[in-house]
Amino acid sequence: MLKRFGFFGLMLLVAATALAIAPVIAQDDGTGPISYNSYASDPLPRAFDEGIVADWNAAHPDQPLQHSIIAHEDFKQALRAYLTAEPAPDVLSWFAGNRARFFIDRGLIMDFSETWDSAGFDDAYAPGFEALARVDEGYYFLPTSYYWWAIYYRPSVLEEVGVAAPIETWDDLLGACDAFDAAGKRAFAIGTRFRWPAAAWFDYLNMRINGPEFHTDLMLLKESYTDERVVAVFDHWQQLLDHNCFIDSPAAYDWQEAVDFMVRGDAGMYLMGGFITDQYPDELEDDLDFFRFPVINPDVPIGEDAPTDGYFIAANARNPQGAQDFLAYLGSQEVQQRALDELGRLPTRTDVDISGVSEATQKGIDLIQTADYVAQFYDRDTTPEMAEAGMDAFMAFWDDPSILNDLLAELDADRVRLAEEQAAE
Amino acid sequence: MTSIAQIQPQRARGGTRRHINWTPYLFIIVPLIVYFVWIIGPTLYTFYLSLTNWDGVSPNPSFVGLRNFERLFTDRTFHEALTNNLRWLVVFITIPTTGGLGMALVFNQEMRGGRWYKVSFYSPLVLSLSVIGLIWAWVYNPSLGLINSFLRGVGVADPPGWLGDRDLAIWCIIAAAVWRQVGYVMILYLAGLKNIDPTLTEAAIVDGASRWQLFRHVVLPLLAPVTTIVLVISMIDSLRAFDLVSIMTRGSQRTQVLANFMYIEAFNNYQMGYGAAIAVVLFSISMIFIGFYLWRVIKTELEY
Amino acid sequence: MTTIADTKSLAEYNAASQPSTTGRRFGTAVKYILLTALTVIWLIPMFAALVTSFRTMDDLTINGFWSMPQSLKFDNFVEAWNQARVSRYLLNSFIVTLPALFGMLFLSSLTAYALARFRFRFNLPIYFMYVAGTLLPFQILMLPVFRLTNALGLYNTYWALIFIQTAFQLGFCTFVLRNFMRTVPSEIFDAARVDGCNEFRIYWQIMLPLTLPSLAALATLEFTWVFNDYLWAIILISDDSLRPVTAGLAQLRGQYTTNWPVITAGALLATLPTILVFAFLQRYFIQGLTLGSNK
Repeated sequence: MLKRFGFFGLMLLVAATALAIAPVIAQDDGTGPISYNSYASDPLPRAFDEGIVADWNAAHPDQPLQHSIIAHEDFKQALRAYLTAEPAPDVLSWFAGNRARFFIDRGLIMDFSETWDSAGFDDAYAPGFEALARVDEGYYFLPTSYYWWAIYYRPSVLEEVGVAAPIETWDDLLGACDAFDAAGKRAFAIGTRFRWPAAAWFDYLNMRINGPEFHTDLMLLKESYTDERVVAVFDHWQQLLDHNCFIDSPAAYDWQEAVDFMVRGDAGMYLMGGFITDQYPDELEDDLDFFRFPVINPDVPIGEDAPTDGYFIAANARNPQGAQDFLAYLGSQEVQQRALDELGRLPTRTDVDISGVSEATQKGIDLIQTADYVAQFYDRDTTPEMAEAGMDAFMAFWDDPSILNDLLAELDADRVRLAEEQAAE
Repeated sequence: MTSIAQIQPQRARGGTRRHINWTPYLFIIVPLIVYFVWIIGPTLYTFYLSLTNWDGVSPNPSFVGLRNFERLFTDRTFHEALTNNLRWLVVFITIPTTGGLGMALVFNQEMRGGRWYKVSFYSPLVLSLSVIGLIWAWVYNPSLGLINSFLRGVGVADPPGWLGDRDLAIWCIIAAAVWRQVGYVMILYLAGLKNIDPTLTEAAIVDGASRWQLFRHVVLPLLAPVTTIVLVISMIDSLRAFDLVSIMTRGSQRTQVLANFMYIEAFNNYQMGYGAAIAVVLFSISMIFIGFYLWRVIKTELEY
Repeated sequence: MTTIADTKSLAEYNAASQPSTTGRRFGTAVKYILLTALTVIWLIPMFAALVTSFRTMDDLTINGFWSMPQSLKFDNFVEAWNQARVSRYLLNSFIVTLPALFGMLFLSSLTAYALARFRFRFNLPIYFMYVAGTLLPFQILMLPVFRLTNALGLYNTYWALIFIQTAFQLGFCTFVLRNFMRTVPSEIFDAARVDGCNEFRIYWQIMLPLTLPSLAALATLEFTWVFNDYLWAIILISDDSLRPVTAGLAQLRGQYTTNWPVITAGALLATLPTILVFAFLQRYFIQGLTLGSNK
């Protein structure tokens, strides 16, 4: 047989076998570089992220960071892979609320209570954010900043069309849409390629019509999507569509692309998070302002979306000590001050100096502080799969409102199933 | 299958009657191990996963039987995805196949600059699908894109929203896929044409066959093996369609296809079991086509 | 096997069958005009990308795509190259693609040789398995393969990508090569056998050179497929410094969402190697066809 096959052949086979039976990579001892994965892919957050990494590396030459920035939407999908990897990246950026809780409950996130204590975070963090960090007695998620949502607008464009800002009532909102429509423009820019900007409209309509309590219960799968209160939300949404409030073909654009409609003056407003300024041209920033989403039902308390961002450490981290050191740095007053100054992200610490903030930032802080209730955001408050089904349904409704009843029935079937699964866990 | 069928394959001499000849096994063993570890094993694992409910991070999937499949067949998105895959399939086995064959026939002749024309047509093939997705998303961009700015330029007041229009979006994506596929098919047919035994065509010419007769009764049958490969590849590609959808719409705008639906369920929604069930269905549908092809292959194999 | 001369005979026949010289010229002119028109339409998307990559977004936003560019600038390429570290990503892509290419062609040609030349019990089942494997939706493998690379300690290494690319393309390569090898006449091997060659030498010194055209064509296709893979790159690699260019490009997309000139410039840079390699292998492909027939 050997003769038939040949010695040369056998050697190649052996080589190939060696290749096939994977070389096991030598495990290292848990020191050395700290790996840090973040989703700060937009230009300004990216510059900020790279800036703090550079500062850390300068101060800790023995424990440098290995920093990877992953495009925002890809990061969201890859996170589970990162967390279950061995070793996982040490430190990762993520979102507060149910979206973090999901991973914490599954034991994928490291308890950093020691660092929480030793870094003195207990005294420095506002109680609301301390609650976001903690699950039972352990600290798992470090909330470092938050931002507000509001209706951003260009005063010059509204003036041109003859709409007075701020818009405070539902009728005025519809009136504004009509005024824009008459002027050959659209009132609102929106880019729903990744769907979530539409979820903001759902959040706000639901909170303004039915109040934060119902909204919360709906997020927690306790209320039905076929409830007439939910139908009312879509009735209002329908009115917006009827009044041509939005730009055409929003699903063709990223949220960033849709900003261009405002920049060009083809649309006057955009319901968006405070990070819209990251994308907005600097030279036009004087012509950008925002106001609270108008009140629809004056009898319900005011709820606002104010998503909190932060960081956590993977339970499989290769370098847990380095990871905690870096986390302590990320949660420090110094970094939060920079996030505020450079990005306008609001601090979660109480000792950050906010006296020097811009007028706009101060207005944002007031917006949140005067709210009766603060939600995170649709895809952070409800469970991941419900969020997915919900955002799909919002887009389907947008396209064809006539199928609303079918959509809501399907949504509720999903809700019931998910609630059962949750109860079974 | 004619040309393959005509040629008797070489068989190993001796050894098969009294004792087993191990030589072929030496040839296949290493690739087989690699294949089992990386492809077959994971596939079977996915089959198992399809019977479970698993979030992908909990230590153990919980067994739920066929519940994922029951849910799947009532899922509207599943029907949407199935329809889109079917559309993709129909377009792929018609347009790029005939177009590619036509191109190949044209370019098989000696012609000045033929090489540059050829390069033009298959150049999309070397672009990654993500690049193609990017380029076409830009072409389709309703406000600034190439098409709409052209349409507005020639006086169309209200040009379509392309990817933003639910009725058009899936066709826009398929168009981009066809753009890439034609060159691929052309290459395969060109290679096939080069392999045609010239004595056969010469014989037909001597017999006074017209060009159409030559093509219909000599060239086309001789290209049958290539055609089979082209059709199989078209079916594979249309069933596996993923990248363009993922990049251009992420499955929104009624452009969902099975592969992306599976990806979304598994990696966005944390429903590994459900995603695995979609993968299993996708695989089963694929097996209808591959089964048909295998049946043809088996038939020819058994004719020896 | 054929030679260039053979294909000419068909072409000459086509030419000769035209009715008259004038008619032929006219026909040729029409053919060239039609082909050129079609080619132009075909290339428009790439032309759009190219033009866009040399302009500024402001220019595009204000003046529209079809206006004369205000100025043509190379800045977008520089920015894409520097900001997205395209050089590093390209290197990573090569580090992954070349071994995978070698691995899949070598392993599949081994199998193809055995399947094409031997009658043995599992011949057809194994062939069918590989053929079926070519149809496998790769999504079915994502999570198990991710866990496998973890278990083997290969996660976040080049090896993970090399292995999955090699393994996943084995089916298609085996399918193509096996069918090609079966068309090789057996007399050649009988002669070698009389000369006392062992099977591996027959495979290595006779079959492989004969298979070169197919190998070259396969290598060309597989290179572009593997080089252009995006999905595995984001699933199996988490380190920025190991990321292949497709995944790197995604960063560019995330970073410059609305800045189409920079995005298209980056996309073109990322595509350059596959275009060059393809052009190079295209020559090799034709060369292989003629050389193979002489042996």
